[in-house]
Amino acid sequence: MLGIQSIASYLPKDSVDNMHQADRLGADRDFVQHKIGVSTLPRAEEHDSVVSMCVAAFKQLCKKESVDLNEIECVVLCTQNPDGGGLPHNSALIHAELGLSEECACFDIGLGCSGYVYGLSVIQSFMSVNGMKKGLFFTCDPYSKILNHDDKNTCLLFGDAASVTLISDTPCYILEKAQFSTKGSASDALVKNDGILEMNGRAVFNFALQEVPKQITSILNKAELCIEDIDVFLLHQGSRFMLENIIKRTKISEEKTPINLLQTGNTVSSSIPLLLESELSNHSNRILMSGFGVGLSWATAIYRLVK
Amino acid sequence: MNREDAVKIVMQTLEKNVDGLEMAEEKMKESLSDLGVDSLDVMLIIMDVAEASGVNIGDDQAEELDTPEKIVDFITK
Repeated sequence: MLGIQSIASYLPKDSVDNMHQADRLGADRDFVQHKIGVSTLPRAEEHDSVVSMCVAAFKQLCKKESVDLNEIECVVLCTQNPDGGGLPHNSALIHAELGLSEECACFDIGLGCSGYVYGLSVIQSFMSVNGMKKGLFFTCDPYSKILNHDDKNTCLLFGDAASVTLISDTPCYILEKAQFSTKGSASDALVKNDGILEMNGRAVFNFALQEVPKQITSILNKAELCIEDIDVFLLHQGSRFMLENIIKRTKISEEKTPINLLQTGNTVSSSIPLLLESELSNHSNRILMSGFGVGLSWATAIYRLVK
Repeated sequence: MNREDAVKIVMQTLEKNVDGLEMAEEKMKESLSDLGVDSLDVMLIIMDVAEASGVNIGDDQAEELDTPEKIVDFITK
């Protein structure tokens, strides 16, 4: 059975002080720190790229795990802001940088904040059906490349990061249940126009608060589990205010639902793996992950500890 | 929906979502920002009012609703 063996991440060394940004944009500091919930935003430096940040995350992984490059049979990257516009697919460039075997499948997935939950399922399914045993799933979506730095809606919110998840046949967590949803008719709430991100904050907020609690309840019902059976809820770190209200509406425990975006901001498809990386060592029995955003797309999965 | 029910929904929603706010009839015409409602609170309040009243409030319409009184007027139209 394939599943998650390990996770590592990379945050660029450069960062933006969100309090300075708040002053520059005439936003209230208290609002930015306590309602949006972000004081520092990691920012890709000029020499950083999607590929270099993914490679940096992989180097972190190698500090935790003994990874035999010859055993990696699959590389999947989730991004919507790839280097070179995505041609060639950046997973192939990562493949080259890591010096992986030619007997290795590589492809990119274009999803935003639901991308981690989707991507995990995609890579595990692909590997399983093709008899593969070791694979790498990367996330890296540097929104700083597409931000309007005068747009309070977005530039106070998004940070850059990369993650890599080692999928293997010796996992510590395996997938128990997943559910995926899309509302394409509302996709104009989050778009890239002329290379710049535009977000209808109200539409995204309403979507998240109305749909995510429903999907969490639905997947628990389908898995014949109750809220108490879940030890940790890892929700996409959209903003503190959004998370606090999803928690209230879903009636899940605040203690079981970490909010941790003060030093990272919303890192798109990397937000859940950043949380999961620190959660893995706690050996919680069941972890629920839920990602939601661009598309509009939302996905929830329950993973179970392998004992 | 009658006005009395609408006022009750709007007042209760405001009090539930804004720390320390105690609503009264004389505050109905004050601006939401003067009542301590920030831009994120507004989104939550409009959504909660829409759900409680069963009245759909579109994005463009919501932008115009900057006092409790205007919200009441909208959901009783």
